[in-house]
Amino acid sequence: MSAEVRFPGYDVLAKHDGKSWNEATRRTLDARMSVPRQPRFFDPAQWQTLCALCDRIIPQPQGKEPVPLAAMLDARLLSGRTDGFRRATLPQQDEAWRRGLAALDTEARARHGAAFHELKTEDQEQLLHKVQGGEVSREVWGDMSSQEFFCHRVLLDIAAAYYAHPTAWNEIGFGGPASPRGYVRMDFDRRDPWEAAEAHQGEEEQARRDNQRVR
Amino acid sequence: MSKNLSWEALAGLAVLGAVGVAALAAPRRRAARAAPTGAQTVVVARRLNRAAGTLAACVLTDSAVEHYRGSFHNKSMYAPLASATLNLASSLHGTADPRAAAHYGRNTISAIAVVTGLIGTAFHLYNIGKRTGGFSWQNLFYAAPIGAPAALGLSGVLGAAAERVRNTPPGAAPRILGAPAGRMLAAISSIGLFGSMGEAALLHLRGAYHNPFMWAPVGLPPIAATLLAATVVAPTPRLRAVTKASLNLTALLGFLGMGFHSYGVSRGMGGWSNWGQNLLNGPPIPAPPAFTALALAGLTALELQAAHHER
Repeated sequence: MSAEVRFPGYDVLAKHDGKSWNEATRRTLDARMSVPRQPRFFDPAQWQTLCALCDRIIPQPQGKEPVPLAAMLDARLLSGRTDGFRRATLPQQDEAWRRGLAALDTEARARHGAAFHELKTEDQEQLLHKVQGGEVSREVWGDMSSQEFFCHRVLLDIAAAYYAHPTAWNEIGFGGPASPRGYVRMDFDRRDPWEAAEAHQGEEEQARRDNQRVR
Repeated sequence: MSKNLSWEALAGLAVLGAVGVAALAAPRRRAARAAPTGAQTVVVARRLNRAAGTLAACVLTDSAVEHYRGSFHNKSMYAPLASATLNLASSLHGTADPRAAAHYGRNTISAIAVVTGLIGTAFHLYNIGKRTGGFSWQNLFYAAPIGAPAALGLSGVLGAAAERVRNTPPGAAPRILGAPAGRMLAAISSIGLFGSMGEAALLHLRGAYHNPFMWAPVGLPPIAATLLAATVVAPTPRLRAVTKASLNLTALLGFLGMGFHSYGVSRGMGGWSNWGQNLLNGPPIPAPPAFTALALAGLTALELQAAHHER
């Protein structure tokens, strides 16, 4: 995220007890934000690899508490909930993640002599490029394609975790589930009073004031 | 357009046009020889004021809600609120006024409503036409409602008609624009009822007639409007009796419509506690009583026909 803020002063959590959200949304969001910050699905080594991987995949907003990406993914895998479908070339999501993280770490040790999370940022990125490009050791990855794992598990699951969090919603001006209150003013560039206000050049303060009233 | 035509210019245009219309068509005020208070024409005029006021109240609340939804994007969207408020106040004044002479202020306000209604219709047509697809079903359903501003104009027409009926010299038969008032009003009310029916038909089609009662405003008012139009041609007592019954039902239907539309709002997600969305997104509660207003005007037309043996 660049330094410019697109929805200044917007806090989607102001809707928490407002008329926009229902009980189901409140429950889901509360659970999502209070997810335990320790691993329950991954072992400590996988967890450290995952945390380092998340840092490389999605930059966190500055000056705010980071979105607990690893914890959210851990909780999801622990719950056993899936998308309902998967790539035929990949195993089930829990197995894919365990094997992928272990393989990433093994590759790091083989190439750089240290665990993935201990590598310098450049080395981590270089290694991830190789994983994405499929330039990896066949013995380490076995029958699982590193490209498929990177594109269809790593990118997908980590981005999904990030954009499931209110911090990301504030960044993109999303209001959460439109239930029970949806949106009425559907035309281009129209805005409901309970909708995030986008800052236009020179009108940032107006947007900030509008966002202060969003519930 | 909103950039080129400022709100002040439009308001000025409306007022100027209205004053012109009012001056040209003003009923000559009779200072002397006023009909006795309680004369039949005054009673009918006050009923017409009531019908005009009911219609103005519908327009005021409906345009307030819908133009608020449109965020008053174009400043001229305030115009119908101002004009309908004036016309509502003027109609209340007329309803309470027992005097038997036209009122210049009420007459001017009615003319403003007519002109605002005409300009509004042009605006709504422009709004529909400028959208991608032009006059397509999609835009007829979701752009500015094509027939709504005409209701404001009609409310002005009824108000102006009330002044003319009120101004009738004692013993004379009331006339509007040279025609017998009862027939003229029957024609106006009939056209208005057909127009409202068209609007209801279009928007209920958008709603896929999901509730069988949505057929009611498409089924009953055209019968009443056709009968009313028939009284213009053949104003017989027998036809008037049937027409009166159908107009009474139409008036009741408009009233019940508010109940149905309230129920529609309650069915939106979150119901009435989510009124901020559902009042705007649900069926418009102030719309159905337009049928009541026009039916009331039609009933006064029948009264005039009967009292003055318009044949």
